[in-house]
Amino acid sequence: MIEVEALTKRYGSTTAVDGLTFTARPGTVTGFLGPNGAGKSTTMRVVVGLERPTSGTATVAGRRYADLPAPLHAVGVMLDARSVHPGRTAYKHLLAMAQTHGIGKARVREVLAQTGLEPAANRRAGTFSLGMGQRLGIAGALLGDPATLILDEPVNGLDPDGVLWVRHLVRELAAEGRTVLLSSHLMHELALCADRVVIIGRGRLLADATVQEIVARSERAGAVRVRTTDPEALARELLTAGADVTPQDGGVLQVHGASVDDVGTAARRCGVTVLELGAESGSLEDAYLQLTGDSVEYRTADTLGRTR
Amino acid sequence: MTAAVMGRPGSTGLRVLRAEWTKLTSVRSNVWIALGTVAVAAGTAYGLGLFVRPGDGRSGSWVVTSGFVLAQLGFLVLGVLVGTSEHTTGTARTTYTTVPRRLPVLAAQVQVTLLAALTTASVALGASYLATGGVRAVDAPALDLSVPGAARALLGFVLASAAVALLGVGLGALLRHPASALVAGVLLVLVGDHLLAMNPGRTTDTIRAFLPSSGARLLQDDAALAGLDAVTRGPQLGVWGGGVVLLVWVVVLLAAAAYRLSRHDVR
Repeated sequence: MIEVEALTKRYGSTTAVDGLTFTARPGTVTGFLGPNGAGKSTTMRVVVGLERPTSGTATVAGRRYADLPAPLHAVGVMLDARSVHPGRTAYKHLLAMAQTHGIGKARVREVLAQTGLEPAANRRAGTFSLGMGQRLGIAGALLGDPATLILDEPVNGLDPDGVLWVRHLVRELAAEGRTVLLSSHLMHELALCADRVVIIGRGRLLADATVQEIVARSERAGAVRVRTTDPEALARELLTAGADVTPQDGGVLQVHGASVDDVGTAARRCGVTVLELGAESGSLEDAYLQLTGDSVEYRTADTLGRTR
Repeated sequence: MTAAVMGRPGSTGLRVLRAEWTKLTSVRSNVWIALGTVAVAAGTAYGLGLFVRPGDGRSGSWVVTSGFVLAQLGFLVLGVLVGTSEHTTGTARTTYTTVPRRLPVLAAQVQVTLLAALTTASVALGASYLATGGVRAVDAPALDLSVPGAARALLGFVLASAAVALLGVGLGALLRHPASALVAGVLLVLVGDHLLAMNPGRTTDTIRAFLPSSGARLLQDDAALAGLDAVTRGPQLGVWGGGVVLLVWVVVLLAAAAYRLSRHDVR
């Protein structure tokens, strides 16, 4: 269980995290989603005690991380694949971690096997690819067999095999009753493995709900898409009927507040030929883009007009 | 999954110490620095020993410990690397999430560096003794432990080397950047003293007495100390005073590093 309560972290005049509150519960994978620079990593770093909150609290299993008597057994942490001395072998890196908690060499070998790093165990970490670094980071997180896992962008740099493996691993860990907090800026990745999603932008909470709830919130959800020979005439007809109409490229209209049947009938009424008509379904990606639309720090001018 | 946990779970001082020893010895460059330091100490002693003649007023212990002038840089580098590598490689994220109380890590780093430096310095002293043996046979003064302060000078070589290594740990952990820690260290233990020595006077001699480079007095036998005290216009530090000055620097720098580590964010 991870509880973040009114957490604020400022660096000088920059506010990285602003009054953030959310809970990650046991037995679920909680996805932590937000654009680059939204404050995901900062939040995770405060949770594991690397940084001090400006105000608010963050606790794991009801305690401040720094007060945990045996952190490795309580929380598995992977913040960055580059958290290893490049001159040290994978085995020695994990051994040094294990030694701080009196964990034996057998367990080190076990996590090396579990993460598929056995053949590379005696290679220096500096020679590792990003994907292997991620596997080493995950091996370190699993070392103490913890009840809570905090993984920052774990699929970053992994090959398709590795992505599948992480997806399967976090599902399995949650099924065993563990708390998993997993950050990503890839919404489809989280849609596939998270139960709940916490979305933040500019350090503020934008949404905290199940994946289904967030999808249902998408602007496209419940909308009707219609392509006709005369969009203007149909738009006028629909507006008088009390629906909301958003014109789009290629003679397409997006209609809210009217069913597919209503739109079809309206088209018949004003004598417009319907070329295409259907209900739209929302996606996490849409919901995410709408939610974070105002809070993206870095974006290309091109994506500004793209809401699809 | 099985948890192969033995004994009381959690980190203890001894466990963190074992982990830091693994970290120190598992990075190949640390081993090379130690070996290089031994080679530099013996090589310098051999080289300087060639030029010492009986009439120079240099004792046998001076010849054996003369490699310190360069070897101390090896000890400084070793300490700086222990103090900074956590922060330059990102290992700090792993280390301080594993031991979130943080200070036991610094304490363990001090202990493993002390052990490594004492061992390296003892080996370097032995190597210097052997390297200067051949030279002694000709006409340079022989190492004679009955000379007043000669045995203390040999012990001083080991103690001063270890202290310089710890000075490196303190500077490294405080500044977190190897370049700035090294420059500061070299200024404090070597260059600062030499620059001030070019302009002798009450002020400069007083400053020199209170720089960490004063620790090199530990390497002098009684006669050499008397010689130094005769020319200085600064305070008389006595037999152990230079060592105490160096020790105070080490303690103050480590305390500052501990303060920064416990009070500030780790990146």
